[in-house]
Amino acid sequence: MKLRSLAMFSASVTKELRIISRDKLALVVFFVMPVLFVLILSLALRDAFGDRPGTSFAVLVADADGGAVGQAVVESLRGNPHLRLVLSGRTNLGERDIRQSVREGRYQFAVLIPADATQQARRRVADIAAGVPADMMLQPPVGLRLLSDPALRGDYRAVVEGGLNLAQYAVEMKLARDQLEQNLRVITGKDYVALPKLDKVHVFSEVRSEPVSGGKGGQLPTSVQQNAPAWTLLAMFFLTVPLSVSFIREREQGSLFRLQTMAVPGWVVLGGKAAMFFGINQIQMGLILAASVYVLPLLGGDRLDPGQNPLALMLLGGSASLAAIGFGIMVALFARTAEQATSFSAAAIMIMAALGGVLVPKAVMPLFMQEASVISPLAWGLDGFLEVFVRGGSVRDVLPEAASLIAFSAICHGVAMLRYERRI
Amino acid sequence: MNHLPFSAPNKSAAGESAFLTFNGVVKSYPGTRRRALDGVTLAIPKGVIFGLLGPNGAGKTTLLSMLVGRITPDAGTVSVDGAAITREILAKIGMSPQEPAVYPTLTARENLEYFGRMQGLTGAHLKNRVQVCLDLAEISDAADRRVEQFSGGYKRRLNLVIALIHEPELLILDETTVAIDPHSRSLIHQRLRELHAEGVTIVLSTHYMEEAEQLCHQIAIMNHGRVVTQGSVETLLASQHNNIIKLTLDQDPPDSLRAVLLSIPGMRGVAIAGCCIQASAPHPEHVVSSIMEALREAGVAAQSLSFGTGSLEQLFLSMTGEEREEP
Repeated sequence: MKLRSLAMFSASVTKELRIISRDKLALVVFFVMPVLFVLILSLALRDAFGDRPGTSFAVLVADADGGAVGQAVVESLRGNPHLRLVLSGRTNLGERDIRQSVREGRYQFAVLIPADATQQARRRVADIAAGVPADMMLQPPVGLRLLSDPALRGDYRAVVEGGLNLAQYAVEMKLARDQLEQNLRVITGKDYVALPKLDKVHVFSEVRSEPVSGGKGGQLPTSVQQNAPAWTLLAMFFLTVPLSVSFIREREQGSLFRLQTMAVPGWVVLGGKAAMFFGINQIQMGLILAASVYVLPLLGGDRLDPGQNPLALMLLGGSASLAAIGFGIMVALFARTAEQATSFSAAAIMIMAALGGVLVPKAVMPLFMQEASVISPLAWGLDGFLEVFVRGGSVRDVLPEAASLIAFSAICHGVAMLRYERRI
Repeated sequence: MNHLPFSAPNKSAAGESAFLTFNGVVKSYPGTRRRALDGVTLAIPKGVIFGLLGPNGAGKTTLLSMLVGRITPDAGTVSVDGAAITREILAKIGMSPQEPAVYPTLTARENLEYFGRMQGLTGAHLKNRVQVCLDLAEISDAADRRVEQFSGGYKRRLNLVIALIHEPELLILDETTVAIDPHSRSLIHQRLRELHAEGVTIVLSTHYMEEAEQLCHQIAIMNHGRVVTQGSVETLLASQHNNIIKLTLDQDPPDSLRAVLLSIPGMRGVAIAGCCIQASAPHPEHVVSSIMEALREAGVAAQSLSFGTGSLEQLFLSMTGEEREEP
């Protein structure tokens, strides 16, 4: 009897494959569109994610001083891989021209170093060293100015502001040291008093953040790391629309009724469809990942590093697919018409996607929304994929996500089976 | 044909030696006031072609769906060969639904193969059965064409033979010959007679009276969820002797006339089509004078009046008391 059911199941899968292979448009929708989608979005959002050295802003340094201040600014900003410096000499550009070029977007930032800035700084240091009270100093603080493109995100502006402030501290240190040497020479009457140079030797080592990850690859998600799994999941769930439509069409055509009048177990009928769509989902995921690894770099995007745990990816892909299929079959069994199933599924999936960090990455959501995302199966899948891609997670690390997806699938399939076996 | 063996005919709850029995079956659908089946008791012997007649909404499809276990009665019992409907029983039944229940993008052969496998057939036996069914339906020439390219007649022939793929002992046909060309209908009739000769019990619902008259040994006429009469076609027609009154009027009568005629004591049914009236009454002589009076009051006159044995169609009309179809 078991063998007989298995033979029926294999006939059911063969039938589904025959039907789907004759629908050329469906094949394009299943396989070509999701890949295109991921490629386009990964390229479009390339610079909006992660720590990508290629992301750069043009910074004009208009140095009207030509002294130590300008040098310190250039040295400080040059170390930042996100900034592309363009130097302008003392008389090359007037402020009006500089403002104009920032407004036109030729430069995202312009640093204005006033003429005589180094001399002013020296005078200010001399006042400080002489113990002149702040409100009685002859030399006011030296004013470096930073013009910026108003469309830039605040955190980008903060990075450049921080860099400039750092440069100013460096100049302050250097000038203070020079002043100290000069004062010591006066006090000791020696022609030469040398203080240790601090620009090469530092008290503290430079601080570098250490991304905390389970494996080797410790990075923030890049565009492709976010987009490839996010849109794979969305494609999987969107496949539930043709799945439910094909089921409802079978019901409308009467072939489902015919099967129900035969001694065919429900799992054979539902399972045949589920197995085929499971296969489609896995091919979809394979194509999207392959395109992200091999095609995307050719188009100028970041290459997706598939990580060290293909088993973890397969587990996540399989369980996400089961969850999506369960959802689709359940919708099909409760919807009266194909239109009802299509519109309900599309709306429900978009809500789950929005909530699950597919449309808007969870990282940019406020905390309460990040917490709310726990109710979306797409969030479970995406969290799992990011665990593998970004934090180098293993099968064990993604087990909670996979288990949640499989449990969701089991509930949906169970409800669907009860509905299928129901007699009027 | 090798049929799966059902046991010998047994005594049904309805009290007859019957193969299929419906005993006091009641069914209501949610959201409807009228019962779809209202105490149906039927006994269908083994090896007959049994016709279920009745206007749309009479409950025929509900009754047939109960035989294949898709609908369960609210009250009463349904049994096949003395047993409730189980998977084992279903394996011995072939059903051809009202609309062609096939996969349009598969070929006829692929459809037959698929449903054959779903009935548990495999290998050479399956291959052989597929070819037999293609030949029975006379669609071998189109076996490898997609069904979506088929004419209506071809689709319905395929629809019928899919129900035969596993050589069922009971064949259920739900209006299988609706909207079909004369050649296909004649072919289907021929095949049904052959199947009957091989011992298959056939239960069919139909709108076509001449089909029932030609094919069926026994019929039941249903109306509003009840069986209004049942028996062999010959007996039923004989019982109609002199019960039919036919009138031809000089003009079309007003719409209200039917209700007036139906209110005459002893009148069983009235059907009016244009200027023709057909009424049934167990004792026509008791109602003739009342009919004439009603005609006079309605301002119409009878041009001809006759009594006689009716056809099955006349029996149907008199039993259901309506035109052939409800809108």
